This record gives sequence, C-alpha cells and structure tokens, in this order.
Amino acid sequence: MFSKILIANRGEIAVRIMRTAQEMGIRTVAVYSEADRQALHVLTADEAVFLGESDPASSYLNFDKIIAAARETGAEAIHPGYGFLAENPAFAERVASEDLVFIGPPAEVMAKLGNKTTARRLMIENRVPVIPGMNTAATDITSLSVAADELGYPVIVKAAAGGGGKGMRIVESRDALAEAAETAASEALASFGDGSIYLEKYLEKPRHVEFQILADSHGNVVHLFERECSIQRRHQKIIEETPSVALTNELRDRLGAAAVAAARAAGYVNAGTVEFLLDESGEFYFLEVNTRLQVEHPITELTTGLDLVRRQIEIAAEQPLPFTQTDVSRRGHAIECRIYAEDPACSFMPAPGEILFVRAPEGPGVRYDHGVYAGFQVPLQYDPILGKLVVWAEDRTSAIERMIRALKECVILGVRTPIEFLVDVVSSEPFRSGRTHTGFIEEYFAQWHPDRVLDDIAVLGFVAHEMAGPGFAPQGNERARADEWLSPWQRLGTWDLGR
Amino acid sequence: MEYKVKIGPEIYTVEAAPLDDAGSTNMVLEGETLPVSVRAVAPNHLHLRVGDRTANLFVARTSEGRWIWIDGRARLVQEAGTVERRKARGLAETPCEVTPPTPAAVVRVLVEVGSEVVKGQGLVVVSAMKMEMTLVAPYSGTVRAVNTQVGAQVSPGEILVEIDAGPEGSKDE
Repeated sequence: MFSKILIANRGEIAVRIMRTAQEMGIRTVAVYSEADRQALHVLTADEAVFLGESDPASSYLNFDKIIAAARETGAEAIHPGYGFLAENPAFAERVASEDLVFIGPPAEVMAKLGNKTTARRLMIENRVPVIPGMNTAATDITSLSVAADELGYPVIVKAAAGGGGKGMRIVESRDALAEAAETAASEALASFGDGSIYLEKYLEKPRHVEFQILADSHGNVVHLFERECSIQRRHQKIIEETPSVALTNELRDRLGAAAVAAARAAGYVNAGTVEFLLDESGEFYFLEVNTRLQVEHPITELTTGLDLVRRQIEIAAEQPLPFTQTDVSRRGHAIECRIYAEDPACSFMPAPGEILFVRAPEGPGVRYDHGVYAGFQVPLQYDPILGKLVVWAEDRTSAIERMIRALKECVILGVRTPIEFLVDVVSSEPFRSGRTHTGFIEEYFAQWHPDRVLDDIAVLGFVAHEMAGPGFAPQGNERARADEWLSPWQRLGTWDLGR
Repeated sequence: MEYKVKIGPEIYTVEAAPLDDAGSTNMVLEGETLPVSVRAVAPNHLHLRVGDRTANLFVARTSEGRWIWIDGRARLVQEAGTVERRKARGLAETPCEVTPPTPAAVVRVLVEVGSEVVKGQGLVVVSAMKMEMTLVAPYSGTVRAVNTQVGAQVSPGEILVEIDAGPEGSKDE
C-alpha cells in the first residue's frame, strides 16, 4: 500500500479523497493555485505544493508542475478526483512513465472510452445498445449538417473528448446548427483541450440511469447498482438518487449485466460509471463511460456501505476486490443535491464571490461533502461547485423529507446558491411521484422564482437585527476577524433577549 | 421608529417600538401589529418569535444590505432609502445593456462597429467558470461601439457593446 498520495484536484472532492486516505493511514499532498491559497483542501492535507497562477493551464491542468510536486514530496500515487486531469489519458500515461501510480484506469482504456465515438463503436461491437448518431467526430459544418439531416432534428452536439455536459448543445433546427457547433467546439476545447464534436439523435424525456462499476487488475468486475441522475440543468446533474424508481428488478439486472459487459469489453480497471439513457418504453441506450470517480458517488456509498475511494486506492495498489457480485447488497434510499455558486432565478448563472457565513447541516442520515468556509472567495476560474448534500433514509419518501430538512439547515450566505430551488424541486409533486426525466427542470421549473412566503419574517428579522443595536454585530465589515468579533460580543455578557 | 425595508422589488414599511428588557416589542408590518421577541444566539444567529411562529435566522452583512437566511431561503434585505439612492436596476426585466451577468472573460466578439444587429442576435460570447454565455442585442439597431476584445476580463456593469436603436428597436422600446 502507498504511504503518500498526491491529490491533483481542489475543492470538495480533494477534501473527500484526503479523508479516506487519512483513514487508511496514507499521508496526503495537496496542490493549489493562486486563487486557492486559503482553500479547504490546502488546509486539510498533510503537505501542500503551490502550482502557479489561477488559470487551470498554469495549475490544475499542468502536467509538469503536478509531476514535479509528486517528486518533490515523495508521493507514490496521484488521485485526479473528477474534472481537470481525471479523464486525460495523456496525463495517466505520463504518470505511469514517471514510475508513479495513477489512481484510475490505465491510459489506453481511458483513451478508448474517453473518446465518445470510439466508445460507441466498441459498444456496438459488444452488442450494447447505443443512441442513433455519428460514430466518428467531425469539425466541419458540412459533414455535421449532413449527419443531422440523416438523424432528423432535434439533435444533440457533443464533445467527442469528454462528458459532464461541457460542450453539449441541443439543436432544434438546421439554422441553429452552426452557432451551436461553434460554441460546443470552443467549450470542448477549453474543457478537454480537444474541440472535436459529434452528433446524436436527441431523445425526448429520457431518464439518465448509470451503473457504478468496480474492476480490479485481476479480472474481477462487479457493479454497485444504479444511480438515477435525471434532474439536470444545462446537461449537468444537480439531483441524483438511488435506487431509481424507473427500474424493475428485471431491467436492473439487464442494465447491470450490460454495464459489466461494457467494462469487460474495454478492459476496464478501477472505479468507473457506465451511463445509459432510458426511454419511456423501458428501452435503454449506452451513453458513455465515465472513467473516474463520479461527483455523485456518495449515494452509492451510503446505500452499499462501501467506500469507493478506498476501493480505488486498493485497486491502484493491485489488490484484488475482497468481494464478488453476490456479496454486494444495498439498503434504503439515498439522494444527493449539488450546491453550486449560481443563481437559479437567473438561468443558473455562476455567482462567484465571498462566502460570508456557513453552517453545516447535521443530524441522522446526513452527509455534507464541501470545500468552503466563511471568508473563502469562490474563484471565477473553476467549476462553481461548493459542496454536495447527501442523505440516506430507509425509503424514498423518508429520504425526500430528510433532504428537505437538511437543505433548510444548510446555511450558505454571501453568494447565491440553488438551495431554495432544490427545496422546491425535491418538495414538488412531480419529483415525489418520480416523474423524472432529463428535461424535468425545463418542464416544471423553467419560470422558477423565490417564494415570498417567508419574506415577512426576513423583514422583521432585519429590523430586529438593526434594533438589537451596534452591540449585536459590529458595524461595517462582516469580514472582521474572530477576535474583533468577540470583544463586543463578550461585552454583552448574559444579554439574552426574548425567553 | 419607522423602517423602510426592501426585498427584491418589494418595499415593506415596519413600525417598531424599542425592545424591552426581555427583547420583546410590537412591530407593525403593513398595518398588522405583531408581537416580536428577539434572542441573540450568536453574532450571525438570531432566534425570532413572531406571534406563534418561531424561526432561526442567520444574518451576514454586506455593503449592499444584509443576507438573511430562514429555513433554506436566503434573502438580501436592504434599507429602501439606500437602494433608491443607488437606482438599482430591475434584475428580472430584460437587460437593456450589453453587460455580463457575472465577472467573465471575453471569448469571442461577434460584431464590429457599424454592424446591423437584430434584437436577440449574439454580440459577445463570454466565459465564466468554464461555461460560455452569449450576450445578445437587447434591441435592433447599429453597433456604435465595441468596448472590449477577446481575452478581456469583464465585470457586470461594463457596457461591452453599444447599439444605436434602429426604427424597429425604438418601436420595441
């Protein structure tokens, strides 16, 4: 087993990986950019190495600097988290060539699956059903236009080099294709360093159902059941749950078998996710394989009781899986809500800024993986995820009630977040009855605006806060240091109003 | 004492007598008298009782006002006088200026001075947090000035493209 690993990532996922490493007795190395000097992952690690300027190319995407940081600290393995270099085969290759271990699948497997068109061809050869679409990427508008005409609109433009909703656009008609293709290619280039794109037929109202798989280097492959991730905005998941209400046991078995077949076909090793779209008739189609730890992995951990990061590290250390498919079971229901710095009332626009106050939700069945604290500046340069709120309960109804309760306890002030929106979505009748599909937000919440039901209390609270006087909170700057805070506060003594 | 308080476009008037030693008072909100008790739990934490309702409020001050959190709902609450002086723009309305909604970097400029544009046409593409957004023409007309270039870091309020409204544009306005 490794004695020290480097985590080539930031934010909540870097913190989450470090926690398991610490539990395994493995020392951790953080890397950080200018914008992240005071970030939580830097404060959590045993050691931290500065990479450079805040732009990703100079920091979290920079091979040379990350390898040098591993060399300098004596780390034996690198965990890439998700995003950044997690699905970059050139980086995995480079890590291996430096006699370091990449905690993830081998570079060639990643290359095969990371290229979405190659992956489609591989699945077709192995009889896994795929969505009608192009099996080779294109960059010129002429061949895209021809393919789109053959498929019939609407079509979806996708980045060939990566997933996660980056570089993805739905195109309703021929005259919108050129602009969508250009934007998608540019976003793909920025996110994956490769601007090639391809088209698939756009399915109406599909559910997104994915299977977690684990494969060791000894040929053992298991799946850890599904996650339904249909609630999306801008093709990015925001609410995930397991089990999916859409799967019968028979369909679950077929999908699980297809996921394991896909992993075997690719020679997969380590943790991965096979994504499917499920249409209203129960037909399923291979979407892609994500060759990394998923953002939403905690819901699988809560229902199966397995620590996926621990399995990833053990597999990378060439240990065999200590269980087989029949040993894997699960219990209860888990839901995750992603919390981004964004404004749900304004097209989910990113909302960077300074976090002024946070208070973590607590209590039975609640897990909060996050990377923020009061005083942290949410940087403009990176994906705006702040954290993930995950709950477990014995059944779906209880899990929904628990999620609503936990969201109401999850205080973040200073930047706009979707917490209020998430409360409304999870509380809604369509969500409760499980009528979820990838267009759910557009169908039910397109015109969402904050409810004014508690505004009277907010108004009275403002006045009460004002009247409680300068002693209640210091005038002016909220960023006052803790010791400056304390003195006027302590002077209040037993000041205790309104028994 | 009378307070004028604003949440979004709504202005509320509150009359409140001073707090007594127990932290209780009566407040009149839009004509309705409500018994209110306040308890300071921590610098950012207020426990409020209004009639038979109770709530934990979390408060953070900013230069613009106070963020107040109640049961998952965060509100930026402002003194109405301050807001009027600032002439804050209605956020829910269609933007009438070509400015980014968030700090961003300019990725592409799609028009040049003299370009004829129609309402809704893309003018500038900006990128923030790895997402691209196209800023569109709020009305039809002729581009008078392009005040930015590819690679520039831009902020809300900066007018990136100025447009002289054409005949159709003026009709719309």
